[in-house]
Amino acid sequence: MVEASLQGLAAVFVWPNFGLMILGALIGMTVGFIPGIGGNFFLAMMIPFVFGMNPYAAFALLLGGHAVVHTGGAISALLFNTPGTGPNAATCFDGYPLVKKGQTGRAMGVAMTASAVGGVFGAAVMIGVIPIVRPIVMAFGPPEFFMMIMVGIACIAFLGGSTPVKGLAVGALGLLLSMVGQDPSTGVVRYGFGLLDLWGGVNQVLVVIGLFAISEMINLALKGGSIADQMAAKVSGGLTTGMLDVFRHWWLNLRCAVIGVVIGLIPGLGGEAAGFLAYGHAVQSSKTPEKFGTGMIEGLLAPESAHNSKEGGALVTTVAFGVPGSSGMAILLGAFLILGITPGPKMMTEHLPLVFNMAWTIAIANIFGAAVGLALANQMAKLTYLRGSILVPLVLLFAILGGYGVRNSMFDLVIVLFFGVVGYYMKKYDYPPAPLIMGLVLGKMAETNLNMAMDLYGVEFIFRPITFVLLLVILFIVGLPLVKATRAAFGKRGVTSAGTTA
Amino acid sequence: MLRQPRMWHLGIFLSALLALALVAGCAGTAGQPSAPTKSTSEQQSAKPAQEKPEPTKPAQATPSAKPTPAQAAQPAQEQPKAQPTAKPEVQADVAFYNGKTVSFIVATKPGGGYDAYARLVAPYLQKYLPGSTVLVKNVEGAGHIIGANTIYAAPADGLTLGTFNKGLIVSQLAGMEGIKFDLAKFVWIANAATEPRAMVVTAKGPYKTVEDLIAAPEVKMGGAGVGSESSNDALMAAAILGFKVKMINGYAGQEADLAMMRGEIDGQIGTYSSMKPLIEQGEARAILIIGKEDVAGVPNLRQKAPAEKKALVDLMESQAQLARVIAATPGIPEGRAKALRDAVKKAFADPELLAKAQQAGLPINYMSGEETGDLVRAALDQKPEVIQLIKDIVTKK
Repeated sequence: MVEASLQGLAAVFVWPNFGLMILGALIGMTVGFIPGIGGNFFLAMMIPFVFGMNPYAAFALLLGGHAVVHTGGAISALLFNTPGTGPNAATCFDGYPLVKKGQTGRAMGVAMTASAVGGVFGAAVMIGVIPIVRPIVMAFGPPEFFMMIMVGIACIAFLGGSTPVKGLAVGALGLLLSMVGQDPSTGVVRYGFGLLDLWGGVNQVLVVIGLFAISEMINLALKGGSIADQMAAKVSGGLTTGMLDVFRHWWLNLRCAVIGVVIGLIPGLGGEAAGFLAYGHAVQSSKTPEKFGTGMIEGLLAPESAHNSKEGGALVTTVAFGVPGSSGMAILLGAFLILGITPGPKMMTEHLPLVFNMAWTIAIANIFGAAVGLALANQMAKLTYLRGSILVPLVLLFAILGGYGVRNSMFDLVIVLFFGVVGYYMKKYDYPPAPLIMGLVLGKMAETNLNMAMDLYGVEFIFRPITFVLLLVILFIVGLPLVKATRAAFGKRGVTSAGTTA
Repeated sequence: MLRQPRMWHLGIFLSALLALALVAGCAGTAGQPSAPTKSTSEQQSAKPAQEKPEPTKPAQATPSAKPTPAQAAQPAQEQPKAQPTAKPEVQADVAFYNGKTVSFIVATKPGGGYDAYARLVAPYLQKYLPGSTVLVKNVEGAGHIIGANTIYAAPADGLTLGTFNKGLIVSQLAGMEGIKFDLAKFVWIANAATEPRAMVVTAKGPYKTVEDLIAAPEVKMGGAGVGSESSNDALMAAAILGFKVKMINGYAGQEADLAMMRGEIDGQIGTYSSMKPLIEQGEARAILIIGKEDVAGVPNLRQKAPAEKKALVDLMESQAQLARVIAATPGIPEGRAKALRDAVKKAFADPELLAKAQQAGLPINYMSGEETGDLVRAALDQKPEVIQLIKDIVTKK
């Protein structure tokens, strides 16, 4: 076992594998940075090059890039409020406000370091988890997925900041939006308005680009000035502060990395949710949930950690079962076939050094990607001081390209622009945007899984062990603030409550 | 200390943007192999020009050059000669594609089987249409309907073709809303593969034969979504064989495999090649095969189906035949249709492509455009009562 691990590690540094990994990482980060083109596109594009390569070289290229796509996406999310990839939407929630406060260096430091830590954790866990992955994956079915997502939805309640009612309203709007499209269980098209393009529902990447990027550009154009409108401390000082921040919040970082790995591990949850669920957890577990959305460090590091660690988790299921844990892994499976390797239990016996090599590649590529990001951070931070009149057209261009790139559809641009306007007014009247995205992403998954759970088991699905435990967690999360508020109310009136302490 | 951004900061930023735009542009020509392959393909395309005696070929000998007056004169001289010697058939208008961009539409997101076949054939299509650039474009949505609509509604200039799920035949018969095409009218270019479909059940489960299924009170089958191939196949198989099916839809990709391993569902229907790993791992057993080919030890739908359901069985078999169809916009000039068909035919005979396909596990059984079109039209030509039966079957929950 240890020998195989060392063999795998050694193979990372052999030329041309190392060079291919670096190349893959650079391309992956660039592809991640460009909105609308995501990790899956990168993989689909790279697969033809893999023919005839030896497996170590091929995975150096593919995994080197795939591991850092979200790291690149975080950069455009931070700088321009335009997430480079769908999951990076969560990066925008608290990352961009930090940048607006002029703390770009710190934000980049946090994002890059959290990504690296999450990615390395995911790769490390990969090795440890493989022996027990089968019982875990077998234990989680649609009922469990439903409850996990409901936990996330419960956390939406905390995203309202100072005005919880507004947060809930926006969250409900998000849930409503998630109902648009064809119901997978009955095939009925809801809120389709006769438009074929709405059958698949409202794509969350489009909503995010509109709600965050376009609305921010409208704002900037109207207000004038530049993105970072406050004077800031020296940028490079900010970087180190950011890096240290991640280690100060190491416990949260670890928990979010675990959330990411679990979500990646279990097919059926979809990697999209990882960042949002981690964000929800950070909010709910914080002592100051109302400050989220204004630039909380925890809010930035949580999703960054989770969406890099989820790839390690997804790789485990792909390797151990031959069943892809995420859509990116589904494409990677194609690469396995091309290289003549059959993923599945046999891989553990026949190709163990390769499995370790894949984990090491992910870990090292993550560190490399973060290092590149950090090195560029200083220069990139200066962009946020550029005049709006220069920046707005450029960011709009990227945003439009990104929106079009999702499905090569002009209709999608209408959605983007619509949500741009919606986002502008939301900002104006102080409605937080994060709950809308969370409602949109989680709503679809919750409904699909609820329908499947009901079809499979009837209402009794609630009493399955893991499902029931998760239900209790939801009740606890929702109930605790109520209990606290009630006790506070009693306390104010001078009546001491019987039975005490937390 | 805060410093004002200088012009050179802007310069760096703009250069970075330009670089990104170039990358995006290269990404747009997605899946194209790197330069070395291109130059060998140029050399190779010169060879067929010399080997084939067909009159139209010599004019295409230099793929990248602008046609010089001498070469331009050649086609003018060649064609009048061509007509009397050839039978009065259409000539493949390969010259048209020189310097043009062809869009190969895939009706799914990047990364699925249809996408894999498209990206496999696109560079070779480009090779056999010298001077052309073939771009793979993913236009997904509404279960392949948007992609198919896009191909159908494209300008009829021969610059658009694409691939989609032949399950749209059933969707068209059932009269699904949103369909703006008529499959019978597409210009069928080819069918790349035939893939028998297999119904599998959990190995640990109680069902060993089709008769067991029929006797059961309810059989839970997993599908991707209402209207999807997996779902329609399961419903049609149940209607043909007479077992009571409960569709559990919502399993994307291979999640149904895991659901079977968990014992959540009893079985699913998919291509035999995609089920093989499950069978080999001992998690599933094949209980029925649908298609013209027979698999040892597994009964075929043809054998098990009652005689009165023959029309439906034929429909399901033709679906298995038409696993990877390629179609072009209706109404394109016949010369260009022939050029596309010839190029695709040569692509699927190219030893390099065949080697890659085999490595990637993508079966290739080329069927000509004409034969594909005949099969599609035959499948669409059903008696009214059969159409009503199909409608009832696929709209049942």
